[in-house]
Amino acid sequence: MSEQQPLSQPLQTEEPLLNDQEMQFWLDKAVAWGQADSPDTQKDTCLHMSRLRDFLQQLLTQVNSMSSTTETMKRLPFLGQLLGRLCWNPYVTVCDTSRGLLLGCLWELYSERPSNAVEQKANQWIRKVLCQLSTEEEDTAAQALMKCTGVPAKEYHLKVLRKKVALLQENVGQSCTLFNSQRCSCDRIVAISEACIPIVACPEASSLISLLLQRPVACVTEVLSEDFLDALTSAYSRQGLALEEQALVSLWYHSFSSLEEAVLSLLQSVITTGLTPQKLEQQVAQSLLPKACAQHCSVFLVVNDIFRSALKQAEGNEFVKALVQTFTKCFLKELALLKPQTSISVKAFFPQSPSSLLVPLLTMPSEMPQGAWRNHLNWLSSSLQRLTEEEEEGDGDGRSTRGHHNVFEAWFLLVQCAHWVQVAVQLLVTSGTEDGDPFLWLLIFYHYPTNRWHHRASQLARAKEAWNHIRTLFSGAAHPLPSDRLQSLVTLVSPQPEQQSLAPSLTVSLLVNVAVFCQLSPSGSAEVLQAVVDQSGLLDEAACVLSSLELRLNEGSCLSRDTVHLRIKELQKTITQMHSE
Amino acid sequence: MEAMLKNLASTVEMLAVAAQSDAVKHWDKQTLSRAFHWARYCEHVFSRFHNNAAIRRIMEKQLQLTNQTLRDTIPGYTEVSFSDLPRCQHLLLVRLLNNPELPSSLMKMLFDTARPVKTMHGEYEDVTGLCSHIVQCKSVYKVLSPLADMSALGADAEVQGEMLMERLEALLNQGSETCRAEHFLGSVLQGCEGALQQFCVVIAAALLTSKNCAAQTAAHDFLLDWLQKNHSLLQHMCSLLSPTLLRDLAKEHQKFRDAFCNVLKKWASEMEYSLNDSEWVLTSTGPTVSFKKLTELFLALFEASPSLKGGVEKELNALKISDGDFDVTGLSVWGDLLSALNT
Repeated sequence: MSEQQPLSQPLQTEEPLLNDQEMQFWLDKAVAWGQADSPDTQKDTCLHMSRLRDFLQQLLTQVNSMSSTTETMKRLPFLGQLLGRLCWNPYVTVCDTSRGLLLGCLWELYSERPSNAVEQKANQWIRKVLCQLSTEEEDTAAQALMKCTGVPAKEYHLKVLRKKVALLQENVGQSCTLFNSQRCSCDRIVAISEACIPIVACPEASSLISLLLQRPVACVTEVLSEDFLDALTSAYSRQGLALEEQALVSLWYHSFSSLEEAVLSLLQSVITTGLTPQKLEQQVAQSLLPKACAQHCSVFLVVNDIFRSALKQAEGNEFVKALVQTFTKCFLKELALLKPQTSISVKAFFPQSPSSLLVPLLTMPSEMPQGAWRNHLNWLSSSLQRLTEEEEEGDGDGRSTRGHHNVFEAWFLLVQCAHWVQVAVQLLVTSGTEDGDPFLWLLIFYHYPTNRWHHRASQLARAKEAWNHIRTLFSGAAHPLPSDRLQSLVTLVSPQPEQQSLAPSLTVSLLVNVAVFCQLSPSGSAEVLQAVVDQSGLLDEAACVLSSLELRLNEGSCLSRDTVHLRIKELQKTITQMHSE
Repeated sequence: MEAMLKNLASTVEMLAVAAQSDAVKHWDKQTLSRAFHWARYCEHVFSRFHNNAAIRRIMEKQLQLTNQTLRDTIPGYTEVSFSDLPRCQHLLLVRLLNNPELPSSLMKMLFDTARPVKTMHGEYEDVTGLCSHIVQCKSVYKVLSPLADMSALGADAEVQGEMLMERLEALLNQGSETCRAEHFLGSVLQGCEGALQQFCVVIAAALLTSKNCAAQTAAHDFLLDWLQKNHSLLQHMCSLLSPTLLRDLAKEHQKFRDAFCNVLKKWASEMEYSLNDSEWVLTSTGPTVSFKKLTELFLALFEASPSLKGGVEKELNALKISDGDFDVTGLSVWGDLLSALNT
């Protein structure tokens, strides 16, 4: 298109036109990129790709608004040259988006009904370029062989690409060999990973990229550049790139931002919709994050840090707590599945947790005889109480932050191992006349980790009150239900202007456990529950607690007491009925 | 059989229409899909029957007839032969893209970045994005090709070598007619006119394929014999390929090693000492090889086969003696060669 006259008259339009400078800039770039093929040129091209895409988009809009190709050629005389050069730049044509924009611009120059020689020539040129792009063969030997062996071009090019990928994979698979004290063979692999940046989303390159991600970290040389990891993360989250499991795990291991994105997305998906415990577990396991955590300690530590922030920001959010508990459960399962050669002690995964509490809390209730639960919980409760007392004593001198930290970490560990809290509630409810205070304390601590304004004592008192009301309601002695008891209970749970109400989740926990383990008949129990839930509006919470209680009883080797199960079934029925009303 | 021949003839006619006719102007998406469908059909027919000599003959006859008719009616008609059939879709694409009457809407569709839609039962396969995919595939390769890898020849040369071997093995497998295999090699050589070095690289790649099976050994043997018969080609190979590649070839194949050795000795014998340049030069017709290069090649040969070294040196020595056994440069090429090899 070199016979075009440069623009000589002032422009008529008011619209902000792409200035000549920009056009010149990109034309110069295109020329430079076309001439050299050094690693520097490649790097430069990759760095400019997203800006080029924006520019092409602007061009497309601009050219679209012009009335004819003749007008376009007048206003943008170098357009043809630029587009022509970019067509032969593989970095531009390899990406779907930029290729689409480039071809879009070309098509804008095509005239369905050419009105003069210029437009006709433009049409011919466009057809020629497109024909050459897809069918021209630069390699004479390749062409001769294709003709004589009957192998079609498409098949040939695919074969060559696959061969190249296989050869590069061999390279990546090699372990690090030192050339001299400064350089090692990893340099070549760095070059490969950088070259893969423009092609991260191409299916033909996926096996190579998987291999790059999973290559064991052998030497100090950082094989995977930040740009490569960013490009991958972006392709995965925005373009839905398919990554095989282990490749994804490796990506999270190498790239903090991609890991963060994954965890936040998991948080998002479970917080907004209240899921049943089973569904939650399924979703967590499917996210592959627990597996990744089991394989890489560092990943687990990062995930937990994110959980800590989430818990601090959304205090009292039961969904987050449930997620943390479920996640830890899935993680421990995955850890157990890994071959025993992982001799990493569990302490490495929980470096900040108080070491004396670690094993006792991590041990599942099903891993010890039921008779031992009571003592175990008593010990846990008193240990935690001691910790909180130490924190409060330390409040006076300058070591209060250390105390806060210890208590927070202990509480976080408790949240991760909340199965013990659930056992505590069960024991509290079934302990009859025995001292249930330590269990109640544990429950309070779980819901109110901080003792702001020394409210724990008053909360404990209120919890005891609620506990009493609930016990009475389910004792069977009261029939019909004493409305004053009921009312008091509801008042305790509802938000008050002067003081904090009792956490609904705490009350519901007690409520449901009593409903399940009491001596009433299934229908009787259900009746009482219905009345309370009706008045207090805690239907969803009740359903949730009931589900997880059933899950825990089914999983553990707890004796399936028929009456308990009957009661659970009846309660579920009632709740479902209430839901549909 | 009848139906198949008819379909074959129709497809060839369709190809002619695609290449030159105005009729393409009225093609739409359906027509295009259908055209590619029939091209695929021909490819399929070829793969099923190309080994069946009888059916092949019948098909070739039909093609001859159709080509004749078309040649008479269409000026500048390009024939479609039997061996073109496995690339029928490609031929169709090339013809269409070169036809200025192809509607721009269809071209846009072929270059669309969208993926083709899943084919419904009873419909022809969607060809959306066909060209786009080809361009992308080529681009991915271009992005990766500058990267250093484990191969001495390059991915493209390796694939070309494999293609050559596959075809050669198939032809030799069919039985007696080695002339077909020779014809094949000849036509590839002809196709590489103007790119002799590339051809030599392909032959080298073919000889270095390592499948370790009887068919491949037989094909290698055939290829080496053919090379020996094509003496000038052999000489070109020895002058155009890198010493490292020649060394690898000599290591793998004894026949090549011996032939290579003979070529080097022949070159040495044809060298004359030029007083102007104060060195030995090759004056005969054929590839020009400098004395330095000759020495490098001898060294490569020795690297490939240390056992050969002793014998060759003895020979060179004997020749040097017959030349007078002087230790002065410029008198005996054999003497100078020996001293160059031993420094």
